[in-house]
Amino acid sequence: MNFFTEIASFFTFSEPNVKVVFWGSLILCSISGLVGTFTLLRKRSLIGDVISHSVLPGIALAFIIGQQKNPLYLIIGATVTGWISTYLVDYITKHSKIKNDTAIALILSVFFGVGVLLLTHIQHSGNASQSGLDQFIFGRASAMNMSDVWLFTIVGSIITLLVVVFFRGLSLLSFDESYSQSIGFPNELLKLVLSITTVVTVAMGVQAVGVVLMSALLITPAACAKFWTNKIIPMAILAVVLSGVSGVLGSAISYTYNGMPTGPWIVVVISLFAFISAFIGSKHGLLKKYIQRAKNNTKILRENTIKLFFNPDTLGETTFQFEDIFEKSNMQRGTLKKGLKLLKSDDLITLDNGTYTTTEEGINEAKAIVRKHRLWELYISRFMHLQPDHVHDDAEGIEHVITPEIEKELEKELDFPTKDPHDSDIPY
Amino acid sequence: MEPSVETHNLTVIYDKKPAIWNIDFTLPTGKIIGIMGPNGSGKSTLLKAIMGIIEPNIGYSKVFDKELDDVRTRVSYVPQRQSVDWDFPASVWDVVAMGRFATKGLFKRLSKEDNDIITESLAKVNMTPFTNRQISQLSGGQQQRVFLARALAQNADLYLMDEPFVGVDAATEQAIINLLKSMRDAGKTLLVVHHDLHTAQDYFEHMVLLNSRLVAEGPTDEVFTQEILTETYGGTLTTLSKVASALKEKDFPMRHK
Repeated sequence: MNFFTEIASFFTFSEPNVKVVFWGSLILCSISGLVGTFTLLRKRSLIGDVISHSVLPGIALAFIIGQQKNPLYLIIGATVTGWISTYLVDYITKHSKIKNDTAIALILSVFFGVGVLLLTHIQHSGNASQSGLDQFIFGRASAMNMSDVWLFTIVGSIITLLVVVFFRGLSLLSFDESYSQSIGFPNELLKLVLSITTVVTVAMGVQAVGVVLMSALLITPAACAKFWTNKIIPMAILAVVLSGVSGVLGSAISYTYNGMPTGPWIVVVISLFAFISAFIGSKHGLLKKYIQRAKNNTKILRENTIKLFFNPDTLGETTFQFEDIFEKSNMQRGTLKKGLKLLKSDDLITLDNGTYTTTEEGINEAKAIVRKHRLWELYISRFMHLQPDHVHDDAEGIEHVITPEIEKELEKELDFPTKDPHDSDIPY
Repeated sequence: MEPSVETHNLTVIYDKKPAIWNIDFTLPTGKIIGIMGPNGSGKSTLLKAIMGIIEPNIGYSKVFDKELDDVRTRVSYVPQRQSVDWDFPASVWDVVAMGRFATKGLFKRLSKEDNDIITESLAKVNMTPFTNRQISQLSGGQQQRVFLARALAQNADLYLMDEPFVGVDAATEQAIINLLKSMRDAGKTLLVVHHDLHTAQDYFEHMVLLNSRLVAEGPTDEVFTQEILTETYGGTLTTLSKVASALKEKDFPMRHK
């Protein structure tokens, strides 16, 4: 069986445990997408990392006290130490000279270290039921059972309800904390809601993705969503969908290839989404930037080429042989050919027997670009107090970005000048 | 006439040192009042303390002769423009709508009337064409006008504004001051943190001059004098800052039972 049919067989739910894995990871990941939206918007991304590493000692302690892997105990243990860690980071930042990033590094490593220590201790204690506890480090969705899923469903519903009910307050708190306080919103309550939901989400989520990668699951979906929308509600919904989908796909892959940890696969899938979002995301996508840059380069080449046809004496028709223009330009041979092709396809020039001739339109375009160039030279020589021999290079670049509106403003501001700083005519 | 804001020995301590110390004044209503002082003189801290955003360590303040909580809907606060991240996923409308949350609270839906107020507030600051614009795409002056529209949407009687003229172009500055004057004419009180001495005299009828301590408070023509300005801007008092440092170094309490 190839990769895809095997993954597809996961979704037929032919094995009873598959259903558990499916629902378990769907619920856990969706919730972390929702909660993570606010973690990201409040710029608390690193706190997610602190919490996820700090739940480990809680899980270990819960096991030592309860002597069994009861999911409820484990979540409570995880929540307690996760909570203490965020409290400590905030306390240290507020009450000592230690800066926030240092406090984060400090608390994260101390808690994680203690967690690993306790875990090692449990593994050597010979308690048979401890097997699988170390999977909290990288996550193992296939280790979940039906009672886990029920617990996630109930707790997840409460978290979702809290976030939805307090959505207005949480958004305002994330955008403008002082204003929220000034209109009498209960900031402390809102912060409490956020930190409870975050800690509990992480405490549950480590079952699927593990402590090391949990913060990726919290932050990445929201970061992806922000590439696609500029409104907070669609952003939250998209974050939930993206992280739910990656949760299910990631667990499907890890389940099919038994023995692979779930966390890394979920993170691989969501990172893939992040990569795609960064590349083609509607608002800030890299692809859009590349296209824009390519467009700009074409415009620059086109304008630089037509400029070569500008005839300063007659301001009219010009004819050239290729070699003549080539000498006049300081472009590569190939670039110039490309530029001429552009002009020809736009009917700015005609080619007849190796002779290039400007058309009426071409003459106007050439005048326009030279006009912009000289207007700009005049403008900066006057307002930047530059000597006439220092203005050319700047104008070479700026002439391409001057829009008709800016051109009008320049003319007005310079009082419709006729001569540039080099005493050449400004063609109208 | 009832006073707009009064403070009694208002003191806020940052990192064991007083940022504002024994600020004690009573301000009139229906005026544009400037809060002036050099950098780090506690202008913003004073506004935040009045607004309850920072809990004062000593002293208290009253608004319209009452506790702030009893008159909160009559007061509007405009934070510094740079205090928020303008890359937040929200439109101009979304931000101005926040002004209505002051009366609607956490849960009540915005009504048609609320929407009308929001539209009207946007019109007052000439931002109607930008209603659906993403806030990250606004210029500094436009951001400031959005913040003012949000405050207008609160329909308050007292406005506390933190540096509304910073980083805005000359045209916007003029538009803002005209807006403030028309608000004043409608009987509102405006308390404005400002630091440009050149324009202060034109903008404000009443002034609070601050340098950690209160230097002077009163009508502009009485307090905007060379002598008082020298006292305000001429550096901190040596003895006073020595005492403040001693408090910090030896960890003394400022008041003890």
